[in-house]
Amino acid sequence: MAELGELLVSAVAAGCIYGLMALAYLLILRPTGIINFALGEWAMLGAFAAVAASGDLLLPALQLPHAAAFAVVLVVTGLIGALVEVATVRPLVERGAPLLSPILALLGVLVVGLQVGTLVGGTEALPSPPPFGFRRVELGPFAGTPQSYYTIAVTLGVFIAAWVFFERTIWGKRFEAVAINRRAAALMGINLRQVGLLAFAASGMVCGVVGMLAAGASGAFYQMGLPLAIQGFTALVIGGVGRVEGALLGGLILGLVEALAARYLPIPPTLVLGVPLVLLILFLLVRPTGLLKAREGGA
Amino acid sequence: MKVSGTLIRLTAGAVAIAAVSTLPALAADPIKIGVITDETGRAAFYAQPVTEGVKLAAKEINAKGGILGRQIELVIEDDGGKPDVSATKARKLVDAGVVAFISNSSSPATQQAETVSLETKTPHITPANSGETLATELKNPYFFQLGPLASTQIKTLMSYTRTRKFKKVAVVGDNSGLSKIIADVFEKSLKGNGIEVAVAEIIPMGSRTAVPQMQKVRAAEPEAIFQAGIVGPQMAQFFQAYHQLGMKQPILASFNLSIPSYLKVAKDMMEGVAFIDAYDPDKPKTKEFIALYKKEHGDEPFSLPGYGYDGLHFIADAIVRAGSTDKEKIRAAMASTKGWSGVMGAKGATVNLSDEDRRGFDPEGAVVRLIHNNNHGPAIHSGTK
Amino acid sequence: MMSGRLRSLAGWAAAFLGLSAVSFVMASYPLELYQKMLLVVTLAIGFNFLFGISGQIAFSHIAFYGIGAYAVVILSHRLGLPLAVALAGAVAICALLAAVVAIPATRLEGFYLALATLAFAQLFIVAVSAGGKLTGGDEGISGYQLPPLFGAKLAGAAYTPVIVFVLLATLGLILRFDRSWFGRACRAVRDNPLAAQAMGVDVARTKIVVFVLASTLAGVAGMAYAFLNNFISPPIFELDRIFELLFMIVIGGTGRHAGAVAGAILLYSVQFAVEPIVGKFHPLIYGLVVVLVILFAPKGLMGLWDAAAARVRASRGRAP
Repeated sequence: MAELGELLVSAVAAGCIYGLMALAYLLILRPTGIINFALGEWAMLGAFAAVAASGDLLLPALQLPHAAAFAVVLVVTGLIGALVEVATVRPLVERGAPLLSPILALLGVLVVGLQVGTLVGGTEALPSPPPFGFRRVELGPFAGTPQSYYTIAVTLGVFIAAWVFFERTIWGKRFEAVAINRRAAALMGINLRQVGLLAFAASGMVCGVVGMLAAGASGAFYQMGLPLAIQGFTALVIGGVGRVEGALLGGLILGLVEALAARYLPIPPTLVLGVPLVLLILFLLVRPTGLLKAREGGA
Repeated sequence: MKVSGTLIRLTAGAVAIAAVSTLPALAADPIKIGVITDETGRAAFYAQPVTEGVKLAAKEINAKGGILGRQIELVIEDDGGKPDVSATKARKLVDAGVVAFISNSSSPATQQAETVSLETKTPHITPANSGETLATELKNPYFFQLGPLASTQIKTLMSYTRTRKFKKVAVVGDNSGLSKIIADVFEKSLKGNGIEVAVAEIIPMGSRTAVPQMQKVRAAEPEAIFQAGIVGPQMAQFFQAYHQLGMKQPILASFNLSIPSYLKVAKDMMEGVAFIDAYDPDKPKTKEFIALYKKEHGDEPFSLPGYGYDGLHFIADAIVRAGSTDKEKIRAAMASTKGWSGVMGAKGATVNLSDEDRRGFDPEGAVVRLIHNNNHGPAIHSGTK
Repeated sequence: MMSGRLRSLAGWAAAFLGLSAVSFVMASYPLELYQKMLLVVTLAIGFNFLFGISGQIAFSHIAFYGIGAYAVVILSHRLGLPLAVALAGAVAICALLAAVVAIPATRLEGFYLALATLAFAQLFIVAVSAGGKLTGGDEGISGYQLPPLFGAKLAGAAYTPVIVFVLLATLGLILRFDRSWFGRACRAVRDNPLAAQAMGVDVARTKIVVFVLASTLAGVAGMAYAFLNNFISPPIFELDRIFELLFMIVIGGTGRHAGAVAGAILLYSVQFAVEPIVGKFHPLIYGLVVVLVILFAPKGLMGLWDAAAARVRASRGRAP
């Protein structure tokens, strides 16, 4: 069963990435109701920022240690999120445009992001050095690379922070209030602008985390955005949009189903590609609200 | 009377212009040659370097006086890796008056552009595409394929490993069009030679890991792994999983691994990997090309620019042999190419074409190279014997 | 009444002749662009009906374009059926698949529908790529062509009438549906499904009919495409094309037929015009323009046109 130990680590690490993307969607979706499909491109830009920070792109002299590079990536993607909110989403929300408008505008942002990424990053896969190197690391029955354990650890950290944010901080309560009833929240004195800005910036930073982790694993690649966007949304649908834990659960389920299908399902590899798509369709048809229900009521 | 300075300058300018315009080389129309490349799509990372080689060859030929006393003018179009756009761009090139055009984008894109070269009776070459049926699917006498066929590649790899008598192997690739074409040919050829393909796996683009697929490969206990992949992140994941799972089988790769960028993204993980190339850096013609490329670009070339460079030289040679820029004559000259050799191919390899077989790459012309110390090593084997 | 109908019939005939005839004076590159543009306009009209008028964010339009193309080619050239049977069969396949997708999918709201149809579109590509000899796999199917019609080979400019026919038929059909109570029902469902239901509109059935109609029309356009270049392969029907189509509708004016046409013509031809300047990065310009349009001209080109026309009328009214 050493094999299962190997498989589980890589499946969970993949699931963590999907869960982080789902969280990025959730951070915007909950308070604003907006689906930001451009998140995948934000992660791609974050990945290229990670590569640049370690000196392999644009600025060869820049060779930051990992922690500093991580900080740079978070700042870059957080700023991207904030900028997009202020420039494209806020004007639409404040003039009362239907929800579809910002969603469409964000599709435009997706295309712009992809083009900018291709221009800046080029069409080759570029690596950024994994902070703990590469080798086989065995922890009991489990075996994985240092990067996969690191990914799991970072993801847990982000999710714990997100959970604490929503459950224990005043800002988290504000997010929830806006999610439940926007108008009431505004009447109670919650600054909708600040919530929107924070939501987008936080979502951007979570994408930055994904970009950083992915760049260290298999490099930054100009076409990595769309798959991440789809995987993230699949995880969100599976887990349910109501709760932070749902995002992680959805991601882990997707990662596990993908890995188990690829390893054990006796269908040709060209059809294994369809498994995540079929899973998504199944959930959309049978249980579009996902596995975890939102917590009802609350103080 | 003082002659005004302006008048003197004007006269000097007029004299200079008159002098320049009498230079014979600049007096004639340029010969237009089209190039279809991919600048932003899936095939960009292998189409663009080939196009650079084409540009270098054009510059070199023009510096030496051009062909038939006329300069070459490259007309470059981008198809974004999309086959239908490739056909449209081919038409644009033909309408713009190219006497021949080069397809550097993906094999399916080249295939679709062929519908245009056939219809408009325009000589059309691909210097690097390895698609097995490009020259045979459509009976297009105007199309010539100079790239090493996937079947030539696998035969060369099989001859390289003949002494090791592999009975059971695995084939791994990704789900990009090019990789699936190559993997398919690899599988068929191996089976045709009595070698069992225990497992043929695909690492999908957008995957975050190749561990499940490589576990399947490991479980099948192959004696060797044939690598047909091309997409960067998936290649990195393949090598990571290979090492992480403690696998030791020799890896034999297609000509895709002749692209050096993997050495960065899968650093220190490719030691001892054997790959097919059509580029032998120790061949005299290749050495000249390396020097020329370094002078122009500053860094080392590799297979891809070499294909492009050869492609344009091949067209130029055909035009010279045809003695004219008439498309039919150029086509006939191309179809009667015998014993032509360029930068690409093993030592002694030649390009031979005929109306019956418009695939020019020498079946014995592929070489096998090893990766050592994150570098491409010298050619250690060539041909299929 | 009679002369009105004759006049409109004459109008359609004139359009058919005009749009076809103009192709005979074009060189082969402009002709190819023109023919492909006509097909894109056809897709835009159908997609506008689906998305703009009926409010369904469906990302499967291009997939049905592909399903139509693949169905007709496989039926006629892989399975050897006569062309008429293949055409009818392909239409049936499109309609059937559209119904299979629509019945569950139209229950989904907003972006969930987008995602389900996106997954379907990806599955289509996966299935075609894995289809081996039947679908030509990743290399696609080539080397086929239309049999001659009454001895005339339908290629080049002679093929334009076929495309124009598909375009005008699509437009005509959609206009017919739109200008009837059905069109009002679609808009009601788009704007307020609960109110529509309360007013007696069968929301589910309306949505399904719209989806099947639009998708089948996209499939018919695909059949026309199949014989344009006589080559089909998976990359032609990939996902990024749906973003392009969406942008065309938004920039042209969501919900307006004229907007779909204008947006499609504009975005399709501009990319070739600006290529010398911005080269390969025309999608970047399109993305920016879409954002700007949504922010500053949400009714798109048609909105700007209407506003300009209203000003002209107003100024004329003021003139003594």
